[in-house]
Amino acid sequence: MNRLCKSLVLITALALLMTGAVIAQDDIVIDFYFPSATANDAEGIFQRYADTFEERNEGISINPVFTGSYTDTRNTILTELQGGGAGPDVAVMLSIDLYSFAEEGYIVPAQGFIDAMDDGGAYINDFFPSLMANGVDDMGNVWSIPFQRSTPILYYNADLLAEAGYDSPPTNNAELVEIAQALTTDDRDGLLVPVAGGFPIWMYQSFAIAYGRNIVSDDPTEVYFNTPEAVAAVEFVRSLGTDLGVGPAGGAAWGDTPVAFLAGQAAMIYHTTGNLSRILDGADFEVGVWYLPSGPAGDDGAGYGSPTGGGNLYIFDDGSKSDAELDAIWKWVMFLSSPEIQADWGATTGYIAANATAWETEPLASRAMEYPQYGVARDQLQHADKEFSSYATITIQGIINKTLESILTGESEDAQAAMDEAQAQIDGILAEYK
Amino acid sequence: MNGSNGSERILRRFAASVKTVIAIFFLIPLVFTILVSVRPEAEPVTRGNIFFGSEVTWENYDRALIIAPWSMHYVNSVIFVAGVLLAQLVTVTCAAYAFARMRFFGRNLLLLIILLQLMIPSGVLLVQNFRMINTLGLFDTRIALMIPYWGSAFGVLLLRQTFREVPIELEEAARIDGANLVQVIRHVYVTNAIPAYLAFALVSVSSHWNEFLWPFIITRSAEIRPLTVGLNKLIKTTDQGAFYGQLMAGTLIVIAPLVLLFLLFQRQFVESFARSGIR
Repeated sequence: MNRLCKSLVLITALALLMTGAVIAQDDIVIDFYFPSATANDAEGIFQRYADTFEERNEGISINPVFTGSYTDTRNTILTELQGGGAGPDVAVMLSIDLYSFAEEGYIVPAQGFIDAMDDGGAYINDFFPSLMANGVDDMGNVWSIPFQRSTPILYYNADLLAEAGYDSPPTNNAELVEIAQALTTDDRDGLLVPVAGGFPIWMYQSFAIAYGRNIVSDDPTEVYFNTPEAVAAVEFVRSLGTDLGVGPAGGAAWGDTPVAFLAGQAAMIYHTTGNLSRILDGADFEVGVWYLPSGPAGDDGAGYGSPTGGGNLYIFDDGSKSDAELDAIWKWVMFLSSPEIQADWGATTGYIAANATAWETEPLASRAMEYPQYGVARDQLQHADKEFSSYATITIQGIINKTLESILTGESEDAQAAMDEAQAQIDGILAEYK
Repeated sequence: MNGSNGSERILRRFAASVKTVIAIFFLIPLVFTILVSVRPEAEPVTRGNIFFGSEVTWENYDRALIIAPWSMHYVNSVIFVAGVLLAQLVTVTCAAYAFARMRFFGRNLLLLIILLQLMIPSGVLLVQNFRMINTLGLFDTRIALMIPYWGSAFGVLLLRQTFREVPIELEEAARIDGANLVQVIRHVYVTNAIPAYLAFALVSVSSHWNEFLWPFIITRSAEIRPLTVGLNKLIKTTDQGAFYGQLMAGTLIVIAPLVLLFLLFQRQFVESFARSGIR
């Protein structure tokens, strides 16, 4: 017992000694929380960025903290802030997290910082407009700055298409179905659209846009989930696995889709640009990349469209931070969103560099030169639209995902009825925000 | 050889084969994890030979090893589970003795409250626990990791049952010989409850080794975070799809010590579980 007590005391003392890093007292410390959603050593990369930044900015030190997935990151920050903790100064969170955090008063708009800049207009106009859509509120204020962004694109196995006599990828839904059917065999799917597994909304949105109407607008109190376009879009996705028979019923699983594509088990897939590096490096065939085929909204390109996705930089302040601190915070945000870092981050991870100048900056410039596929992903951005986001985003997203899943799996046969019901539920939730 | 002997033998054989089948079922995930971890990433199991790819490769391990500072995480995990277990051994022993042998006002009510704690999912208390740790100024320290686990309702109940089975005459004899309370607990109760302690230690170590949410929420410094946080980096590759080989390699890195420990002390563990009545 005595020895036990002694070792306990010893361990306790040791543990207390080992905690906390020592930081020079005069430095402004910026706590930077980041999720990781790729298989890169994000921690190592951010440490490198932090070192570069600290070298150039005397008196500011960056404390990068890994906070898990996007969901873990949101939960970590919410727990910390609700539990009376200090929280981060800057964090990368999903671009659609805006309203959940703005409502609580945890974050401040970037607009004030931009207005105070000499050339704020030039800075913000360098970002691709579609990547700004989710970071701006209905009053036109910029809240968050694009950082690690992505969008769905069409990947195709060019060798297989050529074998079947197709020299170019499908540009509209009719061609998509035709080629997919021609390439479907007993042990190969013609087209995989990853809508199975609980989160179909993102991929589904690209079809809704191709059918002519996104399910969200600039107004965070409006959702359009039961329009004729929205219904036709989900019926088309469902038919891929049933009547058209080019993929599994109910859709493919998110994680398995690129694996199947690389293994030659799928001729074409819808997937995120975040995957571009992995697929280009891993394929033993010629990988083609093209815009998501256009839908009934217009074969001439008007029906192109995909939602954007990924993470933005958010600034946290409850009003207690000093001007010097806020100044340092903005410097770090500017640094991470600069063409220099965006070019490096994009080339390393595969995310789409968010500003135009980054594409003329090394190492991305030569990477894009070597693989023209990167340019396609970037150019599709001109047709891209807002990712789903509204007030009560998480709750409403959950309703939409559940409804889509039940339609896709065939549980709800009548898509219109199921979506009417969901819309009524959503309107009920949004009514209190109007 | 008579008839009853024959049927007994058949019954025993039948039981053995059922056990074998169950054992195989339990082994499948582990075997599968190992196989996928040495399979080239570009070859999914659905194509070609289901057991082995075109070659046995260590590249998944190479990549998994780069992504997180595993040796640091190992040290942290060991300190974490050891710190929890040592404190728990003290608290549950004291509490178990009190509930087993002492008479005091509200004993059953208190026991009921402790029982209730088993039914509350720890996630519900996340924000409140965080607030308390933060108020104490312990946020992002090793101590904060451990504190919520220093009491264990499961341990108290398990040892209380075990202590109650120790004949009271033994304690009385020790008292007559002049033993004080601590000596009684140490020599009479603890000595007679070693299998229960071993069983409790196994449950405690394996559950805290796998604990993710609390360590993740309450720490920010990579220097004190446990293995599960490192593993988390391999799991969350949602922007790229799944990297199964790498994920399985990381999983094996994390569970290896527990699996080895169990294999080494298998017999002791099984016996202590059987004797302490946990199944």
